[in-house]
Amino acid sequence: MFLQQLVNGLVIGGIYAMIAVGYTMIYGVIQLINFAHGEIYMLGAFFAITFISFLNLPFFVAFPLSMACCAVCGVLLDIVAYRPLRRSPRLAALITAIGMSIFLQNLAMIIWGSRPKPFPQGALPAYFETTAVSFGGVNLSWFHLFIFGLTLFMMIGLNLIIKKTRWGKAMRAVAQNQTMAALAGINVNRVISYTFALAGALGGAAGIMVGSYYNSIYPTMGYVAGVKAFAAAVLGGIGSVPGAMLGGVVLGVAEAFGAGYLSSLYRDGISYAVMIIVIILIPAGLFGRVLKETKKSM
Amino acid sequence: MIPILEIKNLYKSFGGLRALKDISFNINGGEIIGLIGPNGAGKTTLFNCVAGIEKPTDGRITFSIDDRALSIGGRKPEAVTSLGIARTFQNIRLFDNLTVLDNVKIGRHCRTRSNFFGAVIRSKFQQTEEKMITESAEQFLEFVGIKGRGQEIASSMPYGDQRRLEIARALATEPRLLMLDEPAAGMNPQESQGLMNLIRRIRDKGITVLLIEHDMKVVMGVCERVVVINHGEWLAEGVPQEVQNNPKVIEAYLGTGAADAAQVG
Amino acid sequence: MDKPISPNLTRGAKIRIGLLILALVLPILPFVSDYMLHIIILIFLYMILSLGLNIVPGFNGLLDLGYVGFYGIGAYTSGLLTYHFGLSYWLIIPLAFINGAIWGILLGAPTLRLTGDYFAIVTFGFSELVVLFLTNEIWLTRGPLGLPGIDVVSIDLTLFGGPKWEFVGEIPYYYLALVMVLVTCFVMYRIQDSRLGRAWFAIRDDEVAAVSCGINLLTYKVIAFAISAAFGAVGGSFFARWVTFLSPDMFKFWESFLILCMIVLGGMGNIWGVMLGAALLVSLSEILREVLPLLGLPVEVRFLAFGLIMVLMMRYRPAGMLPIPAVAAKMRAGRKKRKKEKPVAGLKS
Repeated sequence: MFLQQLVNGLVIGGIYAMIAVGYTMIYGVIQLINFAHGEIYMLGAFFAITFISFLNLPFFVAFPLSMACCAVCGVLLDIVAYRPLRRSPRLAALITAIGMSIFLQNLAMIIWGSRPKPFPQGALPAYFETTAVSFGGVNLSWFHLFIFGLTLFMMIGLNLIIKKTRWGKAMRAVAQNQTMAALAGINVNRVISYTFALAGALGGAAGIMVGSYYNSIYPTMGYVAGVKAFAAAVLGGIGSVPGAMLGGVVLGVAEAFGAGYLSSLYRDGISYAVMIIVIILIPAGLFGRVLKETKKSM
Repeated sequence: MIPILEIKNLYKSFGGLRALKDISFNINGGEIIGLIGPNGAGKTTLFNCVAGIEKPTDGRITFSIDDRALSIGGRKPEAVTSLGIARTFQNIRLFDNLTVLDNVKIGRHCRTRSNFFGAVIRSKFQQTEEKMITESAEQFLEFVGIKGRGQEIASSMPYGDQRRLEIARALATEPRLLMLDEPAAGMNPQESQGLMNLIRRIRDKGITVLLIEHDMKVVMGVCERVVVINHGEWLAEGVPQEVQNNPKVIEAYLGTGAADAAQVG
Repeated sequence: MDKPISPNLTRGAKIRIGLLILALVLPILPFVSDYMLHIIILIFLYMILSLGLNIVPGFNGLLDLGYVGFYGIGAYTSGLLTYHFGLSYWLIIPLAFINGAIWGILLGAPTLRLTGDYFAIVTFGFSELVVLFLTNEIWLTRGPLGLPGIDVVSIDLTLFGGPKWEFVGEIPYYYLALVMVLVTCFVMYRIQDSRLGRAWFAIRDDEVAAVSCGINLLTYKVIAFAISAAFGAVGGSFFARWVTFLSPDMFKFWESFLILCMIVLGGMGNIWGVMLGAALLVSLSEILREVLPLLGLPVEVRFLAFGLIMVLMMRYRPAGMLPIPAVAAKMRAGRKKRKKEKPVAGLKS
């Protein structure tokens, strides 16, 4: 039982991590909680099943294609909704984010209907179902390995991008101080768009994995997942990418064990409770800096 | 007589940066004291430590009224104001979008009591208190010289009047010690003269005044004693004339060698 | 706070009195159906809720995303007290108020020291936990099955040897709701023009300056939150006794967002603006509910429309339709420079 829950926790935790880094990166560069990020995750799943069902694309083509579409959606979201409010007070931007979230949820409902859809039959390779590894009473299928592997690959990839590439450095610069970054010649808007693209791609990937793994895709799936991933980002310290990754895994495991041993009814509540407790007690999270409103200069 | 404010061995560090080092000086009741020093000397930081915005890293600040000595280092700013120390800000912090009169009425907050229930049921107490708040607010406006402008929006007033308004609001808290942070900044000679008169009238009401100022005419004209700090350390103290001619002070403002140049010149 | 100096009433006052008279006679007018009354009662209810929420972002400048939590607590408390103990609604109103305030203090005290973003998130989490609780604690709330058969409001004079008169139909509820809105409005006006209101506006305008005037930020923010919660709970208590059926999915985040839309649309911080926003959005919601199926669109498009409206409002008119200058200045683009420019020496200021 224990091992089974651990595996469940790590699977879902990895997925939370992928969504959480999206929140944390965007908060890092524009200090906005992108409420609509959960909807990008949801769109990823819908894009995938649309590509598979209507364009008859194979899974391994639909996957990266959907990720790319989500990246584009992320960039569009920024350009259309957030960029015009760059200089506006936070309250206005937050309300816009919530508005976009609701808009996208309902747009999906109109386009695809509100009933949960299964992942298309036969889309996934048959061997995904078969057991790859078995230990301690737990069977890990190839699907499990695929998810683990892909999540790990993307996390490592993201870390490399942030640490080693020019764009990554630019992102970190903008996250630290937008004005200085601009003065140093960085095109801040471009960097922000790039961040949204990355966040969108990862979120979309998470959506496809969840949709295919749980075989259920519906327009409001981004809502709950989004809040939990945000909780993970807060736990890890908002603004810190490794923090978000760790927070995601910790939250996923906590949720699995909590649901398994305590109460499955309050499965979602665990995330909310963790989030509230972390924010109140240690707002800096595990790795982050405390985001006190900068003291206005005397 | 016990000094109204005693600052003893005050230290304040921000991380690795030592903003204030071992500052000690006293202010006696009824004095007008100037606090001067080059930019970045730590004057506003000192104000902030007294006012409660910053917590001293070490040292004691003692505020004495009616023979009661209170240690105020580290107290919350609203508590410090209630005890009787008011301050204005270097960059004027008015309630920009509220009326002039409301700004001063808010200054009366710590001397009044009405709460939610009073507001809703308009008890006799609340009504009397509101009347008092309005009347006294108008009196404070008149005292600083902006009478009859109560309904104007604060941010629409000319700069000099905004300064006066901020002082009126500070006075409305009924302080024993008033700390003014560069009140004469941006004022022309006429306005500075008016400000000096206002400060004297404030002192005549029994309020001790501590002011940070760069305008030397104002410092010389209205301060009875001057304290000079530089690089967070106490440099000199005395009557304005003494301080003005103190070679260490001249050097602090103009750089090394300037003291000699001043003597030669 | 514009007091007419002349003996003639200002235009604004005339409009308000006209509306009041209209409101008083409305149910008696011939063309007014029960359905219309139902909608207007709904508008009144949302006016109460909007006025309550308005305290937090409108008077204090903080974003509360969990308002529906208090609404739900008020509703279920009212419903359960009625269902199990047959408590009279006239007792429930003050109880709901106090209960709401207590929850406001419980949630507010630890969280109001947080910055705006975190506070918004925590309030959101709170309201989600409330819904979870209402859904899962079946022994208490009957969970998703809902709580049916709540008594209607009644005026019970049997203790004094008189009759018991139960509310039948919409008309009695209409007048009750109207009175409650007027009382809420009245309270808001009184607060606005008082020491408490001024303290809140000071906090909204400049926290540091407010503190220098002796205002304790946490205390006043908690008071604001508690009063806001109290009105939310009172609104909920009315809702329970009016629709006589409750279920947890009536209290989802969407409601918080909707009420937020109302105050933003109408003009945050402005008592009349907020009421106008409530009237507009409830009407719009009902109109869309009728019209959309005719256009072949699903009813959910309403929500989409609201989301879009909010995005557009923030972009083009963030201060709302009846803005007040203090909030308009805060909501408009262009970060206000904190430093007051010192005029160049030598120029007359």
